[in-house]
Amino acid sequence: MSRSVIGALALVLGTMTATAQSGSDQNLQIHGFATQSVLKGGANNYLGMNTSSGTTAWSEAAVNVQDQVSDKLRVGVQFHYIRLGAFGGDTPTVDWALGDYTINRWLGLRAGKVKMRWGLYNDTQDYDPGYMWSLLPEGIYGVDFRATDLSQNGAELYGSIQLGKKAGDLDYSVYFGYYFDATNDGIMESLNESGLVFNGSVGGKTPGFDLRWKTPLRGLKAGGSLMAYDAKGNLTNGTYLQPLAYWQAYYAQYEHRKVFLSYQYTRLVQNQIVTITGTAPATSSLKTPSWFAMGGYHISDKLQAGAYYTSFTVASAADKNDPANYFHDWVASSRYDIDSYFYAKLEGHLIHGNAAGFYGFNNPNGLNTETNLIVAKIGFIF
Amino acid sequence: MKKLSLICLSLAVALTLAIRAQAQVLIIANPGVKADAVSKSELRDVFTGETKNLKEGGRVMPVLLQGGAAHEAFLNEYIHMSETMMQTCWRRLAFSGQSTMPKSFASEAELVAYIARTSGAIGYVSSATAHDGVKTLTVK
Repeated sequence: MSRSVIGALALVLGTMTATAQSGSDQNLQIHGFATQSVLKGGANNYLGMNTSSGTTAWSEAAVNVQDQVSDKLRVGVQFHYIRLGAFGGDTPTVDWALGDYTINRWLGLRAGKVKMRWGLYNDTQDYDPGYMWSLLPEGIYGVDFRATDLSQNGAELYGSIQLGKKAGDLDYSVYFGYYFDATNDGIMESLNESGLVFNGSVGGKTPGFDLRWKTPLRGLKAGGSLMAYDAKGNLTNGTYLQPLAYWQAYYAQYEHRKVFLSYQYTRLVQNQIVTITGTAPATSSLKTPSWFAMGGYHISDKLQAGAYYTSFTVASAADKNDPANYFHDWVASSRYDIDSYFYAKLEGHLIHGNAAGFYGFNNPNGLNTETNLIVAKIGFIF
Repeated sequence: MKKLSLICLSLAVALTLAIRAQAQVLIIANPGVKADAVSKSELRDVFTGETKNLKEGGRVMPVLLQGGAAHEAFLNEYIHMSETMMQTCWRRLAFSGQSTMPKSFASEAELVAYIARTSGAIGYVSSATAHDGVKTLTVK
């Protein structure tokens, strides 16, 4: 078990013990979920799995323990496990582990390993029961990339400011911390396939913020986020430096009774400097605008259906017509809540382009431009 | 025929009123909660985890029933969501590290007792349930 897991457990158990000794009402909660997916696609293999021949190589689970120690203080930890084909691992990782102190309505502090609020889904993207989709828009919330983007080791200030009776509320989150690239996910695989093999961990600092306006129109919210991050690491044959990158997100969401609609536009600007021992530094730049539009409807208490379209392009590439530099996905999705513990999802994808989610290691004969995919998933929550 | 239609209409109205009377829900809170009234939109925000504060009542802690007529009436009249949708709202917060799940009780009597002894607690019961030791909030 890793040191961070042991440390997180010690923090939570220690706080819970202190609460028991004080004699106050305990509010200890344990919750979890698990999912198992089946995927079948066309000729291309997708997301590190052999989807062309059908696969069950996507399993996830999480368990969290939380204690509302007092009116203002909450502590908790969540462990998460994912196996996504060649990605993920056989041991759980710490998803978040934090103390949360609420001073008042407009100011609170979280510290520890804290989820980052960025756009509509970053802080909840690994909580599958929280949304209808089996796969979130790949170019923005790629399941093969998310391990690195989910949380930071640091602190977050958050709160809600009332703007007046007719102007709604403004929720904010400001954070600063440090992160490490996951050792076995799509980001590391992409770097390896571009010839960058690391000797040790890669990571850096990550400041960011999110502003979310809950408008006076019931159910409508709009906002913007900025996640900045840098990275450095040692290569087997040199050094890697990525100066501060900027990942912006602008979004709007409308949820009212049975309907929900949302839109998000993002833009990443990232440079990297690779210095191979004995040669001059080589600089490259990446600009990737992307967006999605989605809508869904609760057909009944148990059944939801919806669709989304997402587009991701490598705007900094010389040939934007090369399928390696764009990714478009038409998605139709459904979810059925069997009861309060079990649910099932069924989703179809029509993918055009290869810029996200495709890897050379399991597509040795190259890639077709089109990929069709069906995903079926069953989940359990407690 | 006209008389029969009138009788049927009257019976339908009476039945509807009777069902509503049975399921009439009171919003109750710990006596320490400052607010005496709460809007429907505030109730919805508090019981879906959007906020932990009443505009005129300070920090509150929602408490739920696990089922029953009062619970269904509360969801229909104030939350406009199914049980599944409301649970999803709370679980998103719990699994992203932003909140614990609200406490829930199988019986209205247990819920009333908890609210009476817990600072900031707010919940709901049917109008026929004894609710000594708590205050009733007007829904505006």
